[in-house]
This record gives sequence, structure tokens and C-alpha cells, in this order.
Amino acid sequence: MSSDLLRLVARYTLLVIAVVLLNFFLPRLLPGDPLSFSSGEGMDLAAPLSDQAKEQLRSYYRLDRSMGHQLLSYLADLGRGDLGWSISRPAPVAALLLDRLPWTLGLLLVSLLISATLGTALGVAAGWSMRGFRDRLLVSLTSMLAAIPEFLVAIGLLLFFAVGLGWFPLLGGQSPFSAYDGATGWGRRGLDIGWHLSLPAATLVLAGVAGFLLIARDATVGVHREPWIVVARAKGLREREIALRHVLPNVALPLLTFFALRLGAVLGGALVVERVFNVPGLGLLAYQAIRARDYPVLQALFLLSSLGVLAASFGVELVYLRLDRRRGLVAHG
Amino acid sequence: MPMGERRPLLFWAGCALLAGFVLAAALAPLLSPYDPTLSTGRPLLSPTVEHPLGTNDIGQDMLSRLLYGARTSLVVAAVVALISTALSWLVGLTAGFFRLAEGPLMALVDLLLALPGIPLYLLIVTLIGPSRLNLILTLALLSWPAFARVVRSIVIQTRSAPYVEAARALGPTGAYIVRRHVLPATLGVLPTKVTLTVRFAVFSEATLAFLGLADSGSVSWGTMLSEAFNDPLLFSRPVWPWLVLPPTLAITALILAATWLSSGIESLPGTARRFPDSTAIQQTPSSERRNRVLLPRPAKRQWRR
Repeated sequence: MSSDLLRLVARYTLLVIAVVLLNFFLPRLLPGDPLSFSSGEGMDLAAPLSDQAKEQLRSYYRLDRSMGHQLLSYLADLGRGDLGWSISRPAPVAALLLDRLPWTLGLLLVSLLISATLGTALGVAAGWSMRGFRDRLLVSLTSMLAAIPEFLVAIGLLLFFAVGLGWFPLLGGQSPFSAYDGATGWGRRGLDIGWHLSLPAATLVLAGVAGFLLIARDATVGVHREPWIVVARAKGLREREIALRHVLPNVALPLLTFFALRLGAVLGGALVVERVFNVPGLGLLAYQAIRARDYPVLQALFLLSSLGVLAASFGVELVYLRLDRRRGLVAHG
Repeated sequence: MPMGERRPLLFWAGCALLAGFVLAAALAPLLSPYDPTLSTGRPLLSPTVEHPLGTNDIGQDMLSRLLYGARTSLVVAAVVALISTALSWLVGLTAGFFRLAEGPLMALVDLLLALPGIPLYLLIVTLIGPSRLNLILTLALLSWPAFARVVRSIVIQTRSAPYVEAARALGPTGAYIVRRHVLPATLGVLPTKVTLTVRFAVFSEATLAFLGLADSGSVSWGTMLSEAFNDPLLFSRPVWPWLVLPPTLAITALILAATWLSSGIESLPGTARRFPDSTAIQQTPSSERRNRVLLPRPAKRQWRR
């Protein structure tokens, strides 16, 4: 078992190294010099960078040194948590990212948890009545929703609930110009943020629930005629108890894997949805960085999100290993 | 999957819808009343006789832009699907049949599958510039790994099948066996791959354009939405439905067409029945499964000198 753990750690170490190297080499090996790109060379800009300013930037980013030197200093900077300075804002990239991270992370986790719970519940329900009306309806409805890009779902929800009905705010992460003080300030601020984030989160849930539903449904269909389910029913357990105690544990493992697989996709969705609702998270930062051609920010965003996704799937695989071991022990008596 | 009888209907609906889009894109110069890149009317007009879908914030005709937008989406989708599918098969067949190449190729597949897509595309397209060619190359060169894995798993199951064993006994080259005997076994998942990639490409092109990464000269549905949402007062203008709804509905309809097409293909006999993500790769046609059980597996590497 420990050899499995070792192999897992080795694989993820390699992946992390590959991501870090990719992050270093991408801007350097792709066609187009990042400097000429951010200085607007070849475009009709009113104020192109002077040669002297270019030279300064070049030496600031150490682009005049050898590749090996660049790599070493890049790794050293990374070790100190220094991701460089933003081109469009007077702030270090790491601070910009950290500032926006809570919004995206919160949105991501809340919507993933809701869509996993909802998807599992609906999936077990659908699998239970396999090929019945409920099954067909749920499967076709959610697959249809999953086929639509997140930002279109977001626009749909925005049009219906915010523009049409006026139940939710049009944009932003919280009400502007409002001060929250006093004993209940935190609570009121939390409520305000929750109200603003309901539609973005609902978008991600709608877009993400189908995968969980299908996985849970298939796993349920796989076990719901197994002998131990028949025995449980013969014991006189109620259907809901059978579902909770005997079906759900079998659904858990494939769902866990899927949870880790989804993370990257949901992150992409969250970035886009933030632009629709103007939520001040990483997605809006990325959008502003694209408009300002601020590539250090995008580079850091890529590094952060890939490492985050890798960390999450590593965690899931650890859990998987543990669950698997327990199952193995039971099987071997 | 249920709904076996309904699928063909959806399949034909998808076909018809897609044909409509192809027609609109091909005939865009004839059908559109104006040049989509020129300002031909007052800005932010609601629909009139001259401008059936109104105009945008700089007076461009929305109907013309919608028609030309179909061109962008379809060209991107077609080229990306072509390159990505070819790469999937090239890598999958190579990794499945030539074991020397398997390690490095599968490591690359693992790495690419582990990376979050949108942040990676954002970084690359920002760096190399958002021209249409760059966009196509980025999407095509990064979307092949999932099906490379599917193809490889089919190859691995096929390479020990009796008819491949028999062919091997005649002593042809590995490349010949792959082309003649292994490749046909993998073609069952080809339509699924193509339709899924078409969907992916339309989806990604629109998403990236919405985030501001699009050729400034080209017309695309994502760009149209992005422009609409750049206006902070969008929803206080009476014209907003005409700025937001046509591109939204067009993207949705095109993606649904691809989805229906793929679900229709999946329900045909003899093809892969499932969305092939990594949890469902092991599925094979039942005839192959039977063969595997009945026939003894050949000793490892026996066939290779």
C-alpha cells in the first residue's frame, strides 16, 4: 500500500514540476516576445515604448540573461511567492490574485458542493426508477443544460431573474457604497454578498449538476439489483434507508473521481460567469488583464489554477487510496 | 441509456439545424444586407425595415453580424475538429501499438488532461495574439488527449484479438497491421469525437471571444456578446434584447445541434454508447469482450522481434 502512495506522490511531484516548467517556458518559447507584445509593437499605438524603456523592462524581467539564469531566478522568485509585477496595475501579481481569490474560491466551492449533493440525490432517484418517466426527464433535461456554455446559462438567468423579475442584483459582488458596522455588520455583509452571488452560483450548479447526476445514476443502476439490496429490502428496511446506507456508499467512489475531474472545468466556468455578473473575482481580473495585455497576471492565474486543480485531485486520490484500502481489508477478511 | 426510440428524431433535428447554419454561413455575403464590419446606421437602433435585427453601439447591422458570425463559428469548429481528431488517432494508435512511444505519449496526455483548460487557453492566446489561426491552433493542439486515450484503450483491446494475431502470423509490418486491422476497430468512436469536438470548439471560441480574446477584424457571436456586456448601462437601454438574445440563441442552437447529432450517432448500433470520459473508457463492443474471454492471451511481446 505504501508503494501505491509513493507512486502517487511521485506522479504528482512530476506533474507539479511540469506545470511550473510549462509556466516558465510558455511565454519564452511561444512565437512572439512578451515584451514586444505588451509594448504594442506592430500596432498603431499613440505612445509606443521608447527603446530605453524597453531595455529597462528587458533587464527587469532578466530577458537579457541566459535561459538557465532566467529559470533559476524564476524558481527562486516562485519560492518566495513573488510572481512579478503587474503590467497594468501598480501592484505585485501575487497580491492582486490573493485579493480576488476568495470570491472565485467561494463561488467554486459552494456551487460544486451544491451540484454534487443535488446531482447525487437526483441521480440516485433517477437510477432507482431506471427508464421510468422521472429518469428520462432528469437525464434529458440536465444533459441539455450541460450542453449550453456557462456564460449563456448565466445570461439566461440574468435576463430572467435580475432584469425581468428584479429579484436579484444585476451585477457586482456586493452593494456599492454601503458601510457595514455595528454588531450585525458582518452578518448583513454576508447576506448581501450571498444575495449577489446567488445567480452566479446557480449558473454553475445548473451547468455542473448533469455530470454528477449521470455518474450517480449509472452507479445506482449498477447496484440496485445486487443481492445485498434484495437482502436489505427483505429485512424490511425502508427504500430511503436502502438508498442512503447501501446504495450511496457504492456511488461515492466514482463521484469522488468525477469531483476532481470537474474542478478544472468548473473553474473555467466560474471565470466566465464572473464576467457576466461583474463579480470581482479571478475571472474579472483575467478579463481586465486580457484587455490590458497584462500577461504576468494571466501567467500567474494559470499557475495558480493548475496547482490548485492538481492539489485537489491529489487530495481526492489520497482519499480514494484510503477508501480502497479499507475495502481491500474487508474483502480479505 | 434510455430513449432509444427518440434518438433518431433528435439526430435529424440536429442535422437540419446544422445544415441551416452551414447554409447561412455559406450564403452570408448574399443574405446579409450590409457589410458586418461597417457602420451602416444610427447606433443602438431597435429593429427597423432597413435593419431587421437593429444595430449595435457603433451602428453595425446586427443581422449581417449574426450571419457572418456563423462563418467564424463553423470554420473554427470544422478546422479544430479535423486537426484534433487526426491528432487523437495518431497519438492513440501510436501509443497503443508501439510500446516504446507509449510512456512519453501517455505522460503528455496525463499532463494536458490535468491542466485547467480556460486559464491555459487565456494565457496562450494572449501571448501569441488572438488571430483566428492562433485560436484554431490553440484549441486543436490542446483538445486531442481525451480521445487519444480512448483510441489507445481500444487498440490495446484489439491488438490481442485473434484476427490481429492471425494477421501478425503472416509477418507484415506493424504500420500495415495498424492501418488494415486495428484502425477499423477504432472508427466506431469517430463520429462521437467529431461532434464532441465541434461542440467544444464552438463553446470555446464563444467563451474566449466573450472574455475579449478574438480577432478584432473578425465577426463572431462571442464578440457580439462581449461588446454588448462592455456597456455598463446595457440593461437600461430598450434595445438590449436585440443585442443579447440573437447571438445567445445562435450559440445555443449550434451547440444543441452538435449535441443532438452526437446523441443520435451514439444510439446507432455498433458505436460507442457513452460519453467517453475517463470513467467510461473501458466499454467495448460485446463481440470483442467475448473474444477476450474465449481465447488465451498471447504471451507478452511474443510477436515483436
